[in-house]
Amino acid sequence: MIDALVFFALMLKAALFSTSGIGNLPIVHQDLLDRGWATDRQFTEALAIGQISPGPSGLWVISLGYLLDGLRGAILVLIAITLPPLLVLLVHGFYRRLGDHPATQGFVRGLSLAVAGIFLVVLAGIMRGAGINITNLLIALGALGLGATRRVPVIVVLGLAALVGIALF
Amino acid sequence: MSGISDREFAETIAPAAVSHCSPARQLRIWLNIGIQSFGGGAATLYLIRRAAVEQHGWLTDEEFTRYWGICQISPGINLIGLCILIGWRVSGWLGVALALAGLLLPSAAITIALTAGYASVEHVPMVRAALRGTAPATVGLGLLLAYSMARPLLVAGRREGRANLALAWALLIGSALLSTRGAPVLALLWGAGALAALGYWRLGIRQGQTR
Repeated sequence: MIDALVFFALMLKAALFSTSGIGNLPIVHQDLLDRGWATDRQFTEALAIGQISPGPSGLWVISLGYLLDGLRGAILVLIAITLPPLLVLLVHGFYRRLGDHPATQGFVRGLSLAVAGIFLVVLAGIMRGAGINITNLLIALGALGLGATRRVPVIVVLGLAALVGIALF
Repeated sequence: MSGISDREFAETIAPAAVSHCSPARQLRIWLNIGIQSFGGGAATLYLIRRAAVEQHGWLTDEEFTRYWGICQISPGINLIGLCILIGWRVSGWLGVALALAGLLLPSAAITIALTAGYASVEHVPMVRAALRGTAPATVGLGLLLAYSMARPLLVAGRREGRANLALAWALLIGSALLSTRGAPVLALLWGAGALAALGYWRLGIRQGQTR
């Protein structure tokens, strides 16, 4: 059973100590899987829904909140991701002095590279869960290729993949 | 924050002197952005820029770029930070509340509705089959996302020299490897940040490479 308060605290922590829409994913993934509150499949579903819904791509965690704990979960997540960005008003104060410093820029680079690296591991786990076989690899590559053209909307890519799934399985 | 005088703070981030935009109008502008911004973060960023810089003149192009830079190093979702900064600029805390409500309520509501819709048909066999197709596709799109995050940093590293490039690759691969070993992610992220802060400080970087 999910403890609402702990759930909220975990989401708040993840948003507070990360930046960008996907930056909280590695933290949330580890915290929730360790507690047995979420599965890789739920992360996949939430990421897919987050990709097709409007607004910042970081809203995928709202979808995850709903999958795990219904409307209460979604609303808790919405509050948890809205509060940390308010600190931007403080950051603004010292950005003028420190923003261009190589150490500041370096810190952001390191954070982003680590997020990308850990995200790759999370994706590998999802792929393992889905099954590593020719069909799945082809679907993944197809989506990657279509996405890379930047001409095909995400919802079309996922729609095509869904049709392939219905046709094959 | 030490070292920042109140006056300086007020000057840099004071709500615009002339706020000819009524609260109802501000809310409408942000709602418009919130409802239209299908297609992920880039689309939302574009709409915010168009509304704030081009249509309503709340801030200049230069200020917008600086605000976006500030959001890169602030906690949480960058786009939410951006609309907080702009909302504050337009009319203080009221502006912040209006910006957040306008941007987030429609998109959060649609996200919840989509998830609820999905949850109600989750067990239909055809949906299950469709999901077996979308799961690997999500991985493919995720790879693209990871690539688009890492690429500009690796490109910047290459431009700056061998040591910078090596450091970037080491951080990328090192954090991935350590996370497979079950290292605490938070420590990993901030460890990478600290290492990179030190490393790039010593090695030097070219300004303005990280978007």
